[in-house]
Amino acid sequence: MSGTFLAASGVDALADLAGGWNTSREQGGLYIEYLIRDVVGLQIADSVITGASILIVCGLVFGFLNVFALWAVWAERKISAHIQCRLGPMEVGPHGALQTIADGIKLIAKEDIIPRLADRPLFILAPIIVFAGVLIRFVPLPFGPHLIASDMDLGLFFIAAVGSIEVLGVIMAGWSSNNKWSLFGTIRTATQMVSYEVPIGLAFVTVIVSYGSFSLVDIIGMQGGTLAGSLSSDGMPQEGWFWHWTVFRNPFLALMFLVYTVAGLAECKRAPFDLPEAESELVSGFHTEYSGMRFGLFFLAEYGVMYIISAVAACMFLGGWWTGIYWIDQIGLGADASPVGVVFGILIKAGCLISKALVLVMVQMWVRWTLPRVRLDQMMHLCWKVLLPASLLCFLGSCLWELLFGGGAFLGAGAVVR
Amino acid sequence: MSASQYFSDIFRVAKSICIGMSITLKYFVTYKKNLCTVQYPKEREVIPPRHRGIHYLETEKCVMCWKCSDICPVDCIYIEGARGADGVLEGGYRGQKATLAKFTVDYTVCIFCGLCEEPCPTKCIWLGPDFDYHSTDRTMMEKNLLTDAVYTEEDEKFVDWARGENERLQGETKRRQEEEKAKQAAEKEKEQKKGAVEKGKEKPKGDSQAKKANKGKNKS
Repeated sequence: MSGTFLAASGVDALADLAGGWNTSREQGGLYIEYLIRDVVGLQIADSVITGASILIVCGLVFGFLNVFALWAVWAERKISAHIQCRLGPMEVGPHGALQTIADGIKLIAKEDIIPRLADRPLFILAPIIVFAGVLIRFVPLPFGPHLIASDMDLGLFFIAAVGSIEVLGVIMAGWSSNNKWSLFGTIRTATQMVSYEVPIGLAFVTVIVSYGSFSLVDIIGMQGGTLAGSLSSDGMPQEGWFWHWTVFRNPFLALMFLVYTVAGLAECKRAPFDLPEAESELVSGFHTEYSGMRFGLFFLAEYGVMYIISAVAACMFLGGWWTGIYWIDQIGLGADASPVGVVFGILIKAGCLISKALVLVMVQMWVRWTLPRVRLDQMMHLCWKVLLPASLLCFLGSCLWELLFGGGAFLGAGAVVR
Repeated sequence: MSASQYFSDIFRVAKSICIGMSITLKYFVTYKKNLCTVQYPKEREVIPPRHRGIHYLETEKCVMCWKCSDICPVDCIYIEGARGADGVLEGGYRGQKATLAKFTVDYTVCIFCGLCEEPCPTKCIWLGPDFDYHSTDRTMMEKNLLTDAVYTEEDEKFVDWARGENERLQGETKRRQEEEKAKQAAEKEKEQKKGAVEKGKEKPKGDSQAKKANKGKNKS
């Protein structure tokens, strides 16, 4: 979407990039692969380029994940401390900002223990699979316009499908530890994550039905108003104000956002749904027996899932990279935009998307340090008897609303009035 | 479960979550106002006046009566030195009519009961406001109250030396006393001899012996 728009901006090099946007989606490869092959024009074998771009993307995503985890662990400590009227880490760096780096060094330097009775191959493989299941979900997740590993057609579907790999890794970890607490944690994890994927999947479906596309890039583009394919044909205002975001599209989608947030909390195994790791009951669930960097991988994976859930929520419901203010959104988008303006605009939008995700992550932490842990039966009750009917209702209601009034801003009020 | 019950439950849960979240948000924003921790090594809380922290000794008042170490229920106070106005140890710590070589408290044993304060006749040992006596090693948990520092091996050497010196001094004193006694006895004998020479056999020997016995009776 935004690729074709950039192509119209008249800047040749950027137009080339923009062309690659659509080409890479048609070919189904990585965006950076197209850049190397067609824009830079390196004369190397295709397989080498593909391999190199996969490595580059992995490195970038892994780096982002690490930096995010560094920030998130520090933020979690600070938020929990301030909620409990404490100061939190204050010694390492300004306001303890480097505390996580110290902890990370400690984790790497720690002895890596494998219990004697553990199932060795599974035990070693489990954290890798969990981490891979998280890392691979970053592929269709945009960080900003043109900042995406691969804009695949079935982006949301891919995220939902690949997310289940994580459950597999967790089950392996719990089983191979040969520890009853780990096994309890595993069973709870499996129950919880499989159950809560249903409302999350329904939330995906509702958004997909509203916009007619699986691609997160398309969904974000249509929330901008200006780029809205379906919206602009309705004769809606061609402006990217925040009331074009999905939350304000119709009342059912607003309710869906709440359902998605609650189910997302459970999907990240965060309090009040931290039954799999319940420290006071199960030591720490499926990663009780893990130490050193293997535990570090589980830890990174947990924070990675938090970012993914929040970023997908930001993309699907909160307008993605659009700031919600027309004049800021228009930077670098006009036909007469300078290359500097275009790059500046991309940076603003990337910052906006990432900060929306980070705010949602902070909301997750806020919830964690407010609410007590629910019981297992309460958790299942919430999922199957409250969230599932609610999401089904939202799905039906949203579809009917789209059919009757069409999508629109202000809960579709504009469309209703018209 | 009726439908009204179902919806009222959901409403109740949502309401209580909102209340809880608003409370934590309030504390998150205003955490500085009701902060309940202090950045300990940099700032400290005010210690109550009767706090029983680690010991302090006013050495110049100490009379070395061993009452504190006697009453100590866990026997963690060790005292060595020379008592009395004489027998001054060179390099020892001067107390009141005593010279101290060692006065330590073993904090691996001490229970901070404060009993050592009670019997002290000069009120020279007391538990102060300091609570953060720490060490990286068990052997460093013994505090030398004479120097207000950890009891080190050098202190130990000094105490060993002082012990020998003390014995030497005591021996010397004893010898001096004996010498003096002997001298006095010799002088007495001399005088007696002189008197005997001068006055002849006027005074019988039994008289003086009876006098001595009388003296002893008076004393008792």
